[in-house]
Amino acid sequence: MFDLVIIGQILWTSLATTSYLALFAVAFALVLKVNGIFNFTQAAAMSVAFYTAYSCVQIFKLPGAVAFIAAIVMTLALCWIIEITGFASLRKRKASSLFVFIFTFIVSQFASYVITLIFGTWSYTIFPSMFWNVHMLGELAISAWDVPAMASALAAIMGLFAFLRFTRYGQFMLAVSDKPDLAQFYGIDTRKVFLLTMLIAGALVTLGMFLFGTRSLVQPRTSMELMLFAAVATIIGGIGNLAGAAIAAICLGIIQNASILFISSEWQSFLLYVFLFTTIIFFPEGLKLTRKLKVGATSTRQLPQTQLKPQAAAERTE
Amino acid sequence: MEFIYLIIIVIGIYVILASSFNFVIGYGGLLSIAHPAFFAIGAYTAGILARDLGWSGWITIPIGAMMAFCCSIVVSLPALRISGDYLIIASIGFQLGLIEVLKNLKITGGAGGLSNIPAFLVPQIGSAGYAALVTVTALLVVLLLRYVAHGPYGRAVTAMRDDEAAFAALGRSPMWLKLWVLALGSGIAGFAGGIYALYFRYVTPEQFDVMQSNIILTMVMVGGMRTTWGPVVGAVLLEILPQAITFLNLPPSVLGPLQGIIFTSLVLIFMFVRPGGLVSAGQHWHGSDYGPARRVP
Amino acid sequence: MTKVLEIKNLNKSFGGIRVADDINLSLTAGRVLGLIGPNGAGKTSLFNLAFGNVKPDSGSILLNGTLLDGMTPHQRARCGLARTWQHVRLFPSLTVLDNILIGARGYPGEHLTQVLFRPSRLAAHMKGSLEKAYGILERCGLGSAAEQTLADLPYGRQKLVGVARALMNDAQCLLLDEPMAGVEGQLYSIMQRVVREVAESGVAVGVVEHNVAFIRDLCDEGVFMFAGKILARGAVSDLIADTQLTELYFGT
Repeated sequence: MFDLVIIGQILWTSLATTSYLALFAVAFALVLKVNGIFNFTQAAAMSVAFYTAYSCVQIFKLPGAVAFIAAIVMTLALCWIIEITGFASLRKRKASSLFVFIFTFIVSQFASYVITLIFGTWSYTIFPSMFWNVHMLGELAISAWDVPAMASALAAIMGLFAFLRFTRYGQFMLAVSDKPDLAQFYGIDTRKVFLLTMLIAGALVTLGMFLFGTRSLVQPRTSMELMLFAAVATIIGGIGNLAGAAIAAICLGIIQNASILFISSEWQSFLLYVFLFTTIIFFPEGLKLTRKLKVGATSTRQLPQTQLKPQAAAERTE
Repeated sequence: MEFIYLIIIVIGIYVILASSFNFVIGYGGLLSIAHPAFFAIGAYTAGILARDLGWSGWITIPIGAMMAFCCSIVVSLPALRISGDYLIIASIGFQLGLIEVLKNLKITGGAGGLSNIPAFLVPQIGSAGYAALVTVTALLVVLLLRYVAHGPYGRAVTAMRDDEAAFAALGRSPMWLKLWVLALGSGIAGFAGGIYALYFRYVTPEQFDVMQSNIILTMVMVGGMRTTWGPVVGAVLLEILPQAITFLNLPPSVLGPLQGIIFTSLVLIFMFVRPGGLVSAGQHWHGSDYGPARRVP
Repeated sequence: MTKVLEIKNLNKSFGGIRVADDINLSLTAGRVLGLIGPNGAGKTSLFNLAFGNVKPDSGSILLNGTLLDGMTPHQRARCGLARTWQHVRLFPSLTVLDNILIGARGYPGEHLTQVLFRPSRLAAHMKGSLEKAYGILERCGLGSAAEQTLADLPYGRQKLVGVARALMNDAQCLLLDEPMAGVEGQLYSIMQRVVREVAESGVAVGVVEHNVAFIRDLCDEGVFMFAGKILARGAVSDLIADTQLTELYFGT
């Protein structure tokens, strides 16, 4: 019943499409690790990234490269605003985790409504066509999208890991993720670190949405669903474990795509919620097998608190 | 006139929803956006039982409430065993996931919705009578929640919210308390769902999606979290506001997102400008479980 | 002399730091045990281990013969354990009286079924609790403070409220974490009296303290801790007189 070629095809295509899923997961996991919050505003960033790129290409008739740059600029600008006017302000007034949660949730909802108002609820892709040239490798169809997508996602993630390990600010980010109070005493400007984290996450999701939007249809609610996927992957991968989040996203993505062999397409999206509850019930601290590949491992694994981490000591006297 | 009764009924239902959500998120401090999901469970349960089994609303509405109550326990228990923060993810997942399920199941009518729900009470007492009944019910719910929140239960919940570890050291389980708070709030939301379904007689999954979470949240935030009358004020104001906008005769594709933008902007504005809401809660919890003659010689 | 709390072979390390090094300790009913030692010796950690806020690497803890291992803090409290906190940790949203009331082991009113279906039972129970709470407030010299909020209360009196809250618990074993820190004058003697009364009523009391006078006046015996280990135990006066221990205490 299951043709080996079909299975191979589905697996290959699934793998390719997990490229953007991994980016979303790493972005979500990064903000959770360093800033200590479940960043549900990521959906807003994702929407802005996509619709900017879409507008550039299809409305303003600009080339793809320009669209990508524009998307990065707009998304980073949004992340900047959210961090500076939103999170920083909430941190200052020591807002409860409830307030932080409401803020992140409402921001993404707000963005979703604005997008719906401007663009309507129809589905779009960035380029007018979402079909790419196909090369045949034996009986396997490889789309011209696949390899560049996987390569760019891999490059971005490896770039992030290198940044964290080898650069000064990368080390700062790891220090803040581990012990924020101590980091302040060593003179690390936590405000800059939190901002940097948000911007890096913004860049990752922009790439992710660009990849997604050049291949699949996007509606205003798509980013919320993709972000939820990223959240689940983050939990399965283990809080604080970026590589774990990426691997979890890839595995979940393959499973979800490959499930078309067994279940009808309407129920495929439902699979995500099954993953979610399975994770919460059985693997709330993530799957242990991803422990070895931790980047910037934190020895004291804590369960997440949406309490914001304290800002620079100087501000606390206010 | 019919229209006025409709507004009163809708406001009444939202008062129930907002008050119960306030209990969950304001008093309990529980991060959950799945309130509309429990609203939906109550509505669909009551509707299906009334339509397919012919049971009266007097039975199906309480069953709908019980169903929501039980579902809330099933959903929150695994999450709360870990920590209150995992409840966020569970609630988002449940909210979004339930809508998917409702859209795909035959028994719920799929994306087309559940129709032909039999009328309940309206043929006997008319819309005016139903509106009066809903108003009284809403008032009773508000007073019930007030009674719970200002008694020993409220004292315990407040202490838990203040300092969970210290609370646990006094021999209480924060996890179970959160669970019951959520269950009570969700059960009441389910109850509202039954009232809704048996009046409008047609429910679709879209009516219970994340937009409702925003609306209810806005009502609580704008009205005033952790107060008895704040959610009521919020519900009344925020039901009248969209009605005012509809007079602008905008196309539905604009009206929908515009309402959403207004609601979310209101929450953001109130969050930063007046976090207490219109009816601000005091700093301290006030018990009403001991009367004025308190001093014991 | 019944041993109420028994700590056996307890070990715990955080990273490279040993906070509990083969600890063997017991608290006896009606007696006050003082835990002294420099900061970082592991005294408060011991309380956290006893209460289950921290999981030990090895060893076990028993309360009245019941094994506490694996129990959550609230379950242990139910078995008869109570504590005060180094940083007070009262409930800021509640008045002093409510803070005391919440100290009791439990109320019927904290179960929804009772609240909804048997309200009369709540009222009767509350009457009893209120009497008890006022009694405790009087004993602690806080009679006039019942309606006050914590913002209005000086630190020393807040600490007293913390102890009063633990008293309301009717626990068999009471762990006091630096009850005298920040407390002076009249409150000091009140605190002493209260702790003495509690012990005399049959409760096993363990006190972590830096205030030597308090330990000397109040504790029946003492235990000196350093770097997670119990270095010496015996009569408090002996411990204080030991020059080696004094050096360790002030030397760090």
